[in-house]
Amino acid sequence: MLIHGVYKSLFTPIVILLLSGSLFLLGIYPDISTILGGVALFLIGMEYMEGGFKAFSGGLLERVLEKFTNNTLKAIGTGFFTTALVQSSSLISIIIISFLSAELISLTSAVGVVFGSNIGTTTTAWLVSVFGLKIKISVYAMPMIITGIFIPMFLKESNWRGIASILIGLGIIFLGIGYMKEGFETLKEGINLAQYAMAGYAGIFVYVLVGAAATVVIQSSSATMAIIITALATGQIDYANALALTIGANLGTTVTAILAALKSNENGKRLAVAHFIFNITTGVVAIVFIYQLAELVDYLATIVGIGAKDYTLKLALFHTIFNVIGVLLVSPFITILVKFLNTLFIPKGSNKGKPKYLDDAVLPLPSTALSAIMMETKHLYENAFDIITRGLNLKKKNILSSMDLDDAVKDLYSSSSIDIDDFYNYWIKGLYGEIIDFSTKAQANMPPEYIEELYKLKLANRDIVEAIKGTKHLQKNLLKYTSSRNEYIKEQYNDIRKGLAELLRSINTIATTDEEDVIMLLLSKAKIHAERYDIITNGTLDRLIRKGLITNQMATSLMNDSDYAHSISKNLIAMAETLFIDIGSDLKKLHEDMGISDEEAKSIVHKKDRL
Amino acid sequence: MGIKKFIKSVQSTLGLEDYKNEGKKKSLKDLLKKLTSRKKSITALLKTPLDKKEENRLREELEIISLQIKKGKKILYKLYAKK
Repeated sequence: MLIHGVYKSLFTPIVILLLSGSLFLLGIYPDISTILGGVALFLIGMEYMEGGFKAFSGGLLERVLEKFTNNTLKAIGTGFFTTALVQSSSLISIIIISFLSAELISLTSAVGVVFGSNIGTTTTAWLVSVFGLKIKISVYAMPMIITGIFIPMFLKESNWRGIASILIGLGIIFLGIGYMKEGFETLKEGINLAQYAMAGYAGIFVYVLVGAAATVVIQSSSATMAIIITALATGQIDYANALALTIGANLGTTVTAILAALKSNENGKRLAVAHFIFNITTGVVAIVFIYQLAELVDYLATIVGIGAKDYTLKLALFHTIFNVIGVLLVSPFITILVKFLNTLFIPKGSNKGKPKYLDDAVLPLPSTALSAIMMETKHLYENAFDIITRGLNLKKKNILSSMDLDDAVKDLYSSSSIDIDDFYNYWIKGLYGEIIDFSTKAQANMPPEYIEELYKLKLANRDIVEAIKGTKHLQKNLLKYTSSRNEYIKEQYNDIRKGLAELLRSINTIATTDEEDVIMLLLSKAKIHAERYDIITNGTLDRLIRKGLITNQMATSLMNDSDYAHSISKNLIAMAETLFIDIGSDLKKLHEDMGISDEEAKSIVHKKDRL
Repeated sequence: MGIKKFIKSVQSTLGLEDYKNEGKKKSLKDLLKKLTSRKKSITALLKTPLDKKEENRLREELEIISLQIKKGKKILYKLYAKK
């Protein structure tokens, strides 16, 4: 679990190390060389399978994890099933961390998924024991790999490429297991590792340490389990020591989880702590009660029909049982655990201008990466909202309340101007840069339909930044003329403030409501109201000049600033259309077809002006 | 390619060939229902005595909603015509 970050950076060196070791030992110890080659193949196969599932699921996995985790029991069940299905707890963990960051699931649910995933990961041991050893699976390896290679030549869709990768991955895993088994069998003829078997608690501690160390080195508990099971099947280790090695493999993953957490955001760190607490508790209980657990396994084995001498299956059963017991032991305290986790890794100082949702670990998952960018863009808008309201000399709380807008405009935020550049530099610039950088990286893994959505999100980000720049230009005269003694120019500038305040309030409603008709009505209204800034067409400017109500200088300023207000409105409306209507919803398409077009908005305004 | 044919035959057996359009039709019908009900309530409100500001707001909303309903019905007819 949670090993993704570290695992990804160490994967290539580990495989190279294993292959180099395999080559180096080829002449001296061919059997050990075969085992090392088998482990390397197993790891490569796992990598292929994970990549295949990412491409194949097309967001389905993410949707399942989002929908079926609303209570602890469901979260545990979903964690178990998804991990058992994709055979990769690290893939599940990166999705869960990203969901947690995007606030799509609660920390309690995320912890539940991690617990379930721990049980799910034990299915690898079952698969290796049942299929890897009972059947000569290496026979199936080549047809699977060849089919996997041929599929993308004829079927280009990403789903098929995903299936191809899964087949290639499975084939390579089968080959790896075959080599490991063969290596241990020939090794037995030379050296018998079983002679190092140790009885009693001393043996347990030694083998727990060996299992943990092996997992830390290989960075994969599944690969360690495959080695343990094949070694056990060939009689190279005895059953009691294999049990201790299994506990050690479980404990070893916590080290990699901690290493991974160092690179992760605070949510990843909290989840890593939960995982650490779970594995340590489970490990300690398993060590203390190892003999009782072994008896329980013997008892259950007879019930489910596992033979007394079928040690590999009994080991798989032991692996599952002690993880289930761990879940049963820790789950009742999940609320306390989450309370404790929430007190950890609280960011110091202001984080307003730093990304909250972007995590490089989700880059390979198009749908999750898109959600992260969407959430971060909303975060950027929240910051922009604060800057724009201040720039317009309005109070945020008044915009968010139902206060009459005429009164809201009178209630000034400050009597002096605020430095928008300062706010832009602290709250926007860095965050905007991070979003664009992350989007560019995410794009590399995205199919065309996602790239289109990503492009819209990039435009929404640009719209937000442009709206702030527009506010900055507007601010100078806004402050000057709203305190002017000329009532006419004052009224015009307050009208601009009121119009933008209304737009910000409408966007806030759009962002928080589920009512499609309200969303469509407010967006259409906003488009119509944006036309009020066309003061040349609607005759406002002519009237003010003709009657000598404002000076020429005031007229020029008003004309330019109305243009800025018009651009700010257009930018914010375009942003809201992208950001606050669900990408996949029917409303998105319906709004495009049924919403008021710019021409219709102009025609409605002109009709009103004529009346 | 065989799989595509198979999926198509399953879709036709289950009557799911037009499921995307069916989903859109349902969403559109729901939206039209909401818009019509809003139109009715605005029309009723406009018959009561109101201040000028409120009346203008409601008239504007009524105009927008009427236009949206008109467009929505047009799309719905097209969807039925497709079938």
